[in-house]
Amino acid sequence: MRYVVVGGGIAGVSACEAIRKQDAKGEIILVDAEEHPLYSRVLLGPYLVGKISREQIFLKTEAWYQAQRIEWLRGLSVRQLDPVNHHLVLSDEREIPYDKCLIATGCQPRLLGEDLRGVSYLRTLDDADHLLQLLREQGDRAQGLIFGGGFIACEYLKTFEHFKVPTTLLFRGPWFWSRTLDAQSGRMITTHLERKGVRVISSTCVEELIGKNDLGGVKTNQGEFAGTILGIGIGTVPESDWFQKAGGKVQEGICVNAFLETTIPDVSASGDVCEIESARFGRSLVSRTWSQALFQGRVAGANMTGRKETFCEIPALSMSVLGLEVIFLGDTSREHAEKIIVEGDETTGIVQRFLRGGKLVGATLVGRSKDRSTLTQEITG
Amino acid sequence: MPRLIIKVDPELCIGAASCVTVAPDTFRLNEENKAFVLDHGQEPGGSSYERTLEVTEEEKENILLSAQSCPTLAVSIFDETGTQIFPA
Repeated sequence: MRYVVVGGGIAGVSACEAIRKQDAKGEIILVDAEEHPLYSRVLLGPYLVGKISREQIFLKTEAWYQAQRIEWLRGLSVRQLDPVNHHLVLSDEREIPYDKCLIATGCQPRLLGEDLRGVSYLRTLDDADHLLQLLREQGDRAQGLIFGGGFIACEYLKTFEHFKVPTTLLFRGPWFWSRTLDAQSGRMITTHLERKGVRVISSTCVEELIGKNDLGGVKTNQGEFAGTILGIGIGTVPESDWFQKAGGKVQEGICVNAFLETTIPDVSASGDVCEIESARFGRSLVSRTWSQALFQGRVAGANMTGRKETFCEIPALSMSVLGLEVIFLGDTSREHAEKIIVEGDETTGIVQRFLRGGKLVGATLVGRSKDRSTLTQEITG
Repeated sequence: MPRLIIKVDPELCIGAASCVTVAPDTFRLNEENKAFVLDHGQEPGGSSYERTLEVTEEEKENILLSAQSCPTLAVSIFDETGTQIFPA
């Protein structure tokens, strides 16, 4: 049996581990766009603020791939999928046949369309190294700009705070995570950030970069803002082009059933790239977190060897916005909720309860972590 | 039965709860959204980020799997001689 796993992040590598556990003899090929062995993207934040060393980020060594008899093709990606003849064409034109294929390519950050020295994204270890290099080079003259009101913005906020870089935060919505959070929760976050000394500019869009080679600032619909480093976190795009061209179904991600099988036979998907049909929530969900990717990888890998496991973990995402804890549990789509109840205030923390069919399907907690266990139990029923 | 020393670093824990999913008898989240260590579902002596547990081989394997699931490597596991098993 020949298994080809595309994507060497946590979803892909945990799938390889699950395959090897079930099938000692099968051939495993891992096509990985990265040059590094598996590392934790979640640890990029602690690495940036010097909490851990660069070496501590790595979860696997090169020797591990050999010991597991995984043929690790690094620095390569897939260009084409031929589902009829069961083969893939790689970026170096090589053709690889497969019996079972897993797509775990994750997402790419949405790009700004312009680039100058000082513009930063934060997806990979190389991105984190680049940001550290900018901060070291600029020292005291660094001025931070962040464009985005979500998870990646939180990482830039922590990093700029650590390096004592004055920060202006710009985002398109009226408040952080404005497609998920209510106005009251959003205001609580904005107030918290302003108290921490961050200049917050909402309902703003970066229209143009200022500077020739090095960044000097940005032009927006609300005027110009000076800055020498611009951290961008305006969303992500699943890497699914070649799958879609092969006729596979893609919505917000590659559509998979509870067994993590796509609409193309013998091709599965897991991790950030996929969108899972959830029996519990009665609709398909995209949940781009480390834990989901890891557990999906394990299930997908086992199923590729012939098992029939289902993935049914409820999504949970927790973040710290400069010390203010924000948690999303379950299905937090405002669009799909029949009723949303908001409880609490800035002093007690705020909880939003998302209801459908009279049942709790999701919740957001801002500064109110203590309710997490109770709400999780209520959602899992 | 093997004895394990299990430690959670609350500074690194971000409440991803992967450990709780894999080993709910050994980890739970506290009110600060940090994982703490349980002894077979119980909290003798109150909530603690560190415990020495007697476990079966099967439980040991599962606890190791839960530590490996942590995205921030906040869970460390030592054997009874104090030798660190994970992260290796």
